[in-house]
Amino acid sequence: MKKILIVDDEQDIVESLKFVLETCDYTCYCAYNGEDGLKLAREIMPDLIILDVMMPRINGYKISRLLKFDSKYKNIPILMITARSQEEDKLIGEETGADEYITKPFDLNDVVQTVQKYLNTEK
Amino acid sequence: MGNILLISENDSTFHRYEDLLNKAFTIENLVNDDLLYESLENRPADIFIIDSNTQNIDIKLTIKKIKSRIENAQILLLTDSENIDENIAKDVNGFILNNFSDNLISSTITTHLKTKEKLDILSGKNKDLADSLYRLNVLYNTSSQFAGTLDTKELLNYMIEGLDKSLSFDLTCTISFGFENEPVLIINSLYDISEELMNALKLRAILNYKSLFENENIPFEIDDNNLKIIKNIKNPTNKFNFSIFQYDNMFAPIDLGEKFFGCIEIFKENPFTTDDATYFQTIVQQVSLPLKSAGLYKEIIEKNQELEKLERIKSEFISIVSHELRTPLTPIKNALTILSSGRCGILGETAVKFIDMAKRNADNLTSIINDILDINKIEAGKMDFNYKVMNIHTVIENVKNTFDYVAKEHEIILNTQEQENLPDIYADSQRLGQVLTNLVSNAIKFTPNGKNITIKSELKNAKDITTNPYFENEIKNMNGNYIVVSVIDEGIGIKKENLLKAFDKFTQIENSLSRKVGGTGLGLPIAKQLIKAHRGAIWCDSEENKGSNFHFALPVTTGKTEGKTIQKELL
Repeated sequence: MKKILIVDDEQDIVESLKFVLETCDYTCYCAYNGEDGLKLAREIMPDLIILDVMMPRINGYKISRLLKFDSKYKNIPILMITARSQEEDKLIGEETGADEYITKPFDLNDVVQTVQKYLNTEK
Repeated sequence: MGNILLISENDSTFHRYEDLLNKAFTIENLVNDDLLYESLENRPADIFIIDSNTQNIDIKLTIKKIKSRIENAQILLLTDSENIDENIAKDVNGFILNNFSDNLISSTITTHLKTKEKLDILSGKNKDLADSLYRLNVLYNTSSQFAGTLDTKELLNYMIEGLDKSLSFDLTCTISFGFENEPVLIINSLYDISEELMNALKLRAILNYKSLFENENIPFEIDDNNLKIIKNIKNPTNKFNFSIFQYDNMFAPIDLGEKFFGCIEIFKENPFTTDDATYFQTIVQQVSLPLKSAGLYKEIIEKNQELEKLERIKSEFISIVSHELRTPLTPIKNALTILSSGRCGILGETAVKFIDMAKRNADNLTSIINDILDINKIEAGKMDFNYKVMNIHTVIENVKNTFDYVAKEHEIILNTQEQENLPDIYADSQRLGQVLTNLVSNAIKFTPNGKNITIKSELKNAKDITTNPYFENEIKNMNGNYIVVSVIDEGIGIKKENLLKAFDKFTQIENSLSRKVGGTGLGLPIAKQLIKAHRGAIWCDSEENKGSNFHFALPVTTGKTEGKTIQKELL
């Protein structure tokens, strides 16, 4: 079963994503802050990461950069969740390497489709 | 009675002149350089008689010296014959031959004395004239300086500079309330001022100021504690003492009409003339108008800054609020999606109905938040555009596909009527999609079941694009070729007087417009801004109960470069 890592400090969002993706037969791992997310990513080597931008301690852009510039992890697709907020606007423009951007409030069905797109083509 | 200086080494000559002239003139005989100098300094003569036989001094040099020291001096050469050195002859005013009779000598001298008097009067007048001209120049310069600035401090400096140039004062004390919101005493002084004298000047300035308002309320309370001092000393090596209070002085308020600005006192050792007084008044009056403008200008600047700050706060507030609204909306939508997907078990018909209702409203809220964020971004000039070479056909097709289902639901017939082979344009297809989506969804909202909506596209030259009088301004600057997209409905229409309002922020025409349908009323203002960003125009035409036509025109541009400059100008 493919492994998906979900990193978001909004527990409700993580829970709903987890529920739907699990019904689609993916194994989900969850982290609720950037630090744990990065640790988990290195530990479990997921097949795909869903990453929120604004998080305490380490933001999503930073995690994405750290992973994408590491040859060991650079092939993991990253879907970035953004709220198009002002703080995010300030961070944008930096090279993050994320594969896809999903704007809050997103449609769960769209997310599932995007996940499937990345995980099927990888085969 | 004039002074005569006789320069001769011949005693008998001296005696002859002494006898001849002593009754009417002071006469002196000098044959030595030093004595001559001393005499020129202390007892300047009117007439100089120089004996051409003098050996002790250089005659030519002496003439030069006299001329340089004494204006209009009359120099007569005393000589034996008419054979005179030409070099000397051209420098003197007249000759006396030794064989002249006493009468002839007397009358020659009297004539030259009269000439000198007349010349003196003339030079005096000339000097006055030059003086006035200089002052007029200073006044002119000061006035132009006044006109050139709206800075209170600079204006006061120009005023004091102008007074210094024309009146050469020793000291001025200016009290001003015009800047930094506190009373300031500006002292411009030729020499340095001791602390005691400064205190005295301060008290005097305050008394002067208060004397202006004997029976009225003083506009600003000042005492020697809250009066800030700015001191400008021209020559700090010297010091003024208390005798400055014996100097001549003038005082005037700087009046700005309703608003009191300050006052100025000016000191000078030599007495001021009437002209000086007029000049002083003129300059002080002249400065009042620009000072008034400067005050207003400052107010406007402050108001503007305040407004800008408010605008920024508003924009930040909206952005934060929208972001905070988006975050909880996400799990709400997620939860509803999960429920309706049947993943948690099959739902009854009523449950599906209410979950759909919740979903619809969550979607509605999402689009409202997006609209508010968009207009906020546009107003802050932060809207991003992704310009590319594209064809309007793609946009029209996408929008039609999106709305086909909704149109069918409303039993509305959605047609397209596209001109074939339209040229490409350089534009942001997503934003254009947003504009067209907006127009079509509006049309659907206001069109009754069974009627038509048509999306039309055509290539038109600016000359052939016409509109009703309300939107003439929108299209007047267009030239060249445009792609015109129109959304034509058979809906309720808009009253003529409301046409312009359609594109205003937060306006909902006659409420009826929003009664049937939701929305922030931001859709059309956003569309207008997006089209403007593309250097296009948007306008509408309508007839009540027959339908509305919304049109937008986009310039057909060939190169990418042009598009890039558009983007730069707008962001």
